[in-house]
Amino acid sequence: MRLPLGLTAAFIFGSSSLAAQQPAPMTARDSALHVLNRLAYGPRPGEIDSVARIGVTRWIDAQVGAALPEPALDAAERQFDLLRISPSELAKRAVEMEKQRREAKKMATGTGDDDQRRKGARGPDDPRRLAEQFQELAATRAVLAENQLREVMIDFWTNHFNVVLTKGADRYLLPGYIETTIRPHAMGKFSDLLVAVAHSPAMLFYLDNVRSVAPGSEPPALTRARMRRFQNPRVDSMRAKLPTGINENYAREILELHTLGVDGGYTQQDVINTAQILTGWSMERPEKGVGFEFHDWAHDPGEKLVLGVRFPSGHGEDEGERLLRMLADNPATMHHVSAKLCARFVSDQPSDGCVDDAVRAWQQSKGDIRKILLAIFRSPDFWAPSGVGHKFKTPLEFVVSSARAVGAIPDTAPILAQTVARLGQPLFMQASPAGYPEAQGEWANSGALLDRMNVATALASGRLGSLMPRLDLLAPGVMLPADLVSAISARLFANGLSAHSVEVITREAGDPPPGTDARAYAIGLALGGPEFQRQ
Amino acid sequence: MPISRRIFVKAGALALVSFGADPVFLDRAAWGMTRPSGRGGKGPILVCLFQRGAVDGLSMVVPHGEDAYYAERPRIAIPRNQVVDLDGHFGLHPALAALKPLWSNGSLAAIHAIGSPDSTRSHFDAQDYMESGTPGVKSTSDGWLNRYCQHQQEHTSTPFRSVAFGPELPRILSGSSPALAINDLQAFGIRGGGGARDRLTRAFEALYQDQATDLVASSAAEGFEAARMLRSVDPGHYQPANGANYPKGKFSKSMQQIAQLIRADVGVEIAFADVGGWDTHVNQGNGDGQLAGRLTEFGGALAAFATDLGDRMADVIVLTMSEFGRTVKENGSSGTDHGHATAMLVMGGPVHGGRMLGRWPGLAPEARFEGRDVAVTTDFRDLFSELLTRHLGATDLAGVFPGFVVSPSRFPGAVR
Repeated sequence: MRLPLGLTAAFIFGSSSLAAQQPAPMTARDSALHVLNRLAYGPRPGEIDSVARIGVTRWIDAQVGAALPEPALDAAERQFDLLRISPSELAKRAVEMEKQRREAKKMATGTGDDDQRRKGARGPDDPRRLAEQFQELAATRAVLAENQLREVMIDFWTNHFNVVLTKGADRYLLPGYIETTIRPHAMGKFSDLLVAVAHSPAMLFYLDNVRSVAPGSEPPALTRARMRRFQNPRVDSMRAKLPTGINENYAREILELHTLGVDGGYTQQDVINTAQILTGWSMERPEKGVGFEFHDWAHDPGEKLVLGVRFPSGHGEDEGERLLRMLADNPATMHHVSAKLCARFVSDQPSDGCVDDAVRAWQQSKGDIRKILLAIFRSPDFWAPSGVGHKFKTPLEFVVSSARAVGAIPDTAPILAQTVARLGQPLFMQASPAGYPEAQGEWANSGALLDRMNVATALASGRLGSLMPRLDLLAPGVMLPADLVSAISARLFANGLSAHSVEVITREAGDPPPGTDARAYAIGLALGGPEFQRQ
Repeated sequence: MPISRRIFVKAGALALVSFGADPVFLDRAAWGMTRPSGRGGKGPILVCLFQRGAVDGLSMVVPHGEDAYYAERPRIAIPRNQVVDLDGHFGLHPALAALKPLWSNGSLAAIHAIGSPDSTRSHFDAQDYMESGTPGVKSTSDGWLNRYCQHQQEHTSTPFRSVAFGPELPRILSGSSPALAINDLQAFGIRGGGGARDRLTRAFEALYQDQATDLVASSAAEGFEAARMLRSVDPGHYQPANGANYPKGKFSKSMQQIAQLIRADVGVEIAFADVGGWDTHVNQGNGDGQLAGRLTEFGGALAAFATDLGDRMADVIVLTMSEFGRTVKENGSSGTDHGHATAMLVMGGPVHGGRMLGRWPGLAPEARFEGRDVAVTTDFRDLFSELLTRHLGATDLAGVFPGFVVSPSRFPGAVR
């Protein structure tokens, strides 16, 4: 599969007719910037040159291989206590905290819930502190990882299989979901990822599958209690808290969002039957360890029909896995997920050609995510000059690419995640199971755009929390305004700053506001300017 | 790119020419204050609130006269003795008690069994249809409130004509007509100590000036213009009027900031805010609990808004909407699943209130949609078109709701 090295990307990837339409073919540095923008979270200082030197094709292969050593990331991860706590330990602590909170609330009279919470000290186990750490960890990894494409894909799948941090037990289930479900499967097979997600307590809780049971079913504990003492009031109160039937929520989102897509040709009856097949897919109680648990007693053993395929009666957990693998292989799924991948990597409205290339690779590789990605990166659409540098960055992409651009090394202070949240994309907080949108129209609004400019100037001048820019990496020492701007344009834009921007920033850098460093001022304007909002 | 957006961009560029002093801005502020009189003297305003997640219309506006409501919801029905009765058959959820005085003075109406002709039970699709205004058609690229602005262009000279509170511009206001998304009035605009703010603003404005046909550039131009106007409004020092007491919460804060903008006379015609937390699949609660908690902030904020605006409510209609309703029958988790029709509220001086609107189909199994959900007897576009024509004065809705024949005979009668 490896392509010859040493040629410019446009020459390798573009067909001859496409090349004929291009007024100025992309240079090696242009191609390097393009892949750094799309497969990664933008260039760090000097990286456009290093990727151009290695060769874009080889760099893509290494990114798809996702096996580069990660010294900086490993060191940063060691700073996050969160990663040293097992999911079950996290759950135990959260349950304990919740119990204490409830008791404190019972004891307090006359004070509102909010007052109580505000008064409480924020110890290391405080759920809000853990949530902040968890959000910051995601942004930190995006800044520091050498395997950038893998981080981009982890963000993609986290969004595709969205779970919200604010819903009940997901406060403590989400870290385990990212570490053990999303991250290990992000570059594997789609079917394995789909099955892993369905086994994750975080998703089963988020979309209420833990509450979906066959009508008339009863947990063994209740049966035992009932046997022991007929009509015990405790039995009644137990029963009142228990679910009594199926819940369609997860089943619907599997079909609509995770696999087939909303036009994927399923019916309301398919939703109901999918829910029946997944009855019993649940989780351990938090005090027992929060792992996946199949509840045989809750499973509907009857025959079901989904998309015209018969699932005979008498089966248990196995029929769920069979259904998921069947859905993963459905052409509608291939098309739906490929179109989303193309929207992420190529353009908000991807062409049929790109999607078809991805679907073909999906069919040939049986859903191998790496092969699908390679097909997209080799698609002529990925390299079409009309698209290069035109995709609007999401708030996460803007913040992470800004931090990378100035060579900032994040610590564990939650500044990156807070900034992303302020710009409209709080991580793991999107309530809709559809995740965050990708299209420019959803993000390019005036208020948030002005705030990006604030973030850019704050970061460049060292006022964005503890995030320190290393401006020397972009523009060493004292320079004339024109040289300063041309260094910025070379190192962050492959000389792609427009003549107008060069003129404005040069003029401004020649006469910075009193007390402002010309270099920081110029870099702030470049990061907040129109070119850097795109990739 | 359609024309109306260009008009605004030009206006923004014009403002740039007169940079430093604010003559253009002052002109506009003056224009805002002396607008030709509407009903209450200052021109009509429509505030749209989207209850995202599908509110349970049946427990928001409770058909307490229906035995079926109680039979189908043994665990989560609102007990009859807790319902705030409206007309002997319907009543408000007790958490909405703050709205009862508005019903009594004739400025609040409720409409039941309203919804989409499309049967989807996907949040995503149903919200999309309610915002695009074209149920069943996904290819529509803009929202119906934006299309209204495209077709009625006399307001294009103020960036506050249509404002959405929240970090993102919602689908309903997306499109070629300029609209503003504001997360927080106070924090809006370029920041920087001392004179740095003006310098930075000028520099960034110049940077974005070059690409005048581009969405990013036009959004930036709108932002700079709005920031200039806001500086004179001084949103940091807002005192609600008439002793209005806004509850805590994100939605409540949006309502307060909408009131603030309306009282500042910056030319708001359409305001929009989201309010979430309605997807009550599990443990919905009855008079207390999850739904009650959300309705408490919701009702409290609406009541405070009406109090705050006082006489200005003569110009204002507040419309609540939600993508669909929820199942008549409670589910196995003491919650409700995705249904079909829901209830909406219409509040304000111009409202023909104190009564239920629409046709109630009842909850009998044979009257339900697909045997399980409240049937839709009013297409949401009938109510939306009534508000656009009879409140905002729109004259041509063919382009606002394409493929839909607007007929005053089907208007639910929300506007006096």
